[in-house]
Amino acid sequence: MTLSRKDVERIAELAALHVDEAQLPQLTQQIARIIDYVSQLDAVDTGSDAATWLAKSPPQPLRADQVRPADLMRDPTSFAPAFREGVFVVPRLAAMEDE
Amino acid sequence: MTALVERAREAADRIEAVERRGLHAVLAFDRTVLLEQATKLDAAPTDGALKGLVIGVKDNIATLEYPTTCGSRILEGYRSPYEATAIKRLKQAGALIACKTNLDEFAMGSSTEHSAFGRTRHPEQPDLVPGGSSGGSAALVAAGAVDAALGSETGGSVRQPAAFCGIVGIKPTYGRVSRYGLVAFGSSLDQIGACGPDVQTASRVLCAISGRDPHDATSADLPPLELPEFPDDLQGFTIGVPEEYFPDDLDAGVRAGCGRAIARMRDAGATISPVSLPHTGLAIPTYYILAPAEASSNLARYDGVRYGPRYAPPEGDVQAMYRATRGVGFGPEVRRRIIVGTYVLSAGYYDAYYRKALRARWLIARDFEKLFAGGVDLLFTPAAPTTAFRAGEKLEDPIAMYLADVFSCPANLAWVTAMSMPVGRAGGLPIGGQFIGPQFGEARMLQAASVLERLVDPAAEAR
Repeated sequence: MTLSRKDVERIAELAALHVDEAQLPQLTQQIARIIDYVSQLDAVDTGSDAATWLAKSPPQPLRADQVRPADLMRDPTSFAPAFREGVFVVPRLAAMEDE
Repeated sequence: MTALVERAREAADRIEAVERRGLHAVLAFDRTVLLEQATKLDAAPTDGALKGLVIGVKDNIATLEYPTTCGSRILEGYRSPYEATAIKRLKQAGALIACKTNLDEFAMGSSTEHSAFGRTRHPEQPDLVPGGSSGGSAALVAAGAVDAALGSETGGSVRQPAAFCGIVGIKPTYGRVSRYGLVAFGSSLDQIGACGPDVQTASRVLCAISGRDPHDATSADLPPLELPEFPDDLQGFTIGVPEEYFPDDLDAGVRAGCGRAIARMRDAGATISPVSLPHTGLAIPTYYILAPAEASSNLARYDGVRYGPRYAPPEGDVQAMYRATRGVGFGPEVRRRIIVGTYVLSAGYYDAYYRKALRARWLIARDFEKLFAGGVDLLFTPAAPTTAFRAGEKLEDPIAMYLADVFSCPANLAWVTAMSMPVGRAGGLPIGGQFIGPQFGEARMLQAASVLERLVDPAAEAR
């Protein structure tokens, strides 16, 4: 399949990624090429074997559910731009200021 | 001045010298930080296995001494509040953390040209690339500026630059080394790996950073790897040579170098067995669906709130701020991969791409499993299809760049261990040979590599 410029704009919107108008033609062409390339998997019969193999995978090792202190080596006050009364202070966003 | 501090001072001189010459392998270095570590180590002597070893660290691994930027504007100046388990273990073993090394942005690339802070040069020919994404680590080791380095692997990012630069690079089995403190790219593929000038040094670094870590639920429940005894020959080793890794269009020099290495291993007592990994051809398309999918999810956190400088448009809501921040903060290759990853995970395409690729991954992994269960100890292949290529050559053609990983990414997809080592030269440039071993089969792989290292002259032209 071939991706259109509109498709790429829609995906960029989903990914919360601003793309300059000027970059869109080249980006669309590159993304379309990548998607066309990986689409070769369409032709592969992966059958039902894959699920069988998955069932044999070793279980993930788990640890006991114990609450432990965060392992910070530096106090948050030393790396946060602003930290007051136990909370990080961040710049107010313009849109929120109006509310 | 003690011998240890003198050693650190000499390393500092070497790092500054190679950077002055324009290698650009280093993103952060402060000689005072290095000398302080050496002084401290002197004051509290350790008999650690890596005592005094000077190590460069890829800049996507969290350190307290230096910022961790991932080669990205979006993390410029970011200082981690904690350090990676691998770093903690290196220090416990007596190693000195010298500097942070350059990389493709968020480890996405095969040439270290995608760093937001400028490309790393090849240590021998500056107009060539050192490979990537751990190009800074490999170049710095090859230039002799540090004793060893940490890199990270998602699809070959330690082995391919190791091959291009003529050093040893090890990708451990998935789960062998803790990922705690390794900035996530493709979480089901990522592993921290070791770079060294020789098999022994890289192996020692790997052993020091390995072992179960409660901070990483995907780390295997195994003790640290112990340095194996290095044998005199390859009696008892069955080494498979997969036909799919020697295609007709393989670079002639790479073919000759690997062919010579195989002949030497046979002479040293190994049983060489032609084998097949029939799903090898699926690896690149599978990888370039799964890795971007995981990346698009992992990199969602860089939004100007949780991480990164904020670029807020004068008008607009919080979504506009996210978009602007990410649009400015990410470079072209990261943007491409986020868009591809978002696409293959989006409604209507998930089954056709992501789920299909997951199933293809099982087929690729099963190829390896069958061979190793059938009596093959190790596989031997080229680490990369060519020697180092010219800077800029593949920059505008993502598919051409992706194909540089064709021989390396199958091992990541299959969760097995692999390593690259120099096996000669073609046209004056290093050729990388690759061993691939079964899951947690590092010891036997390192043994075979140590023997091959003695059998081949890495400086000899392959014909």
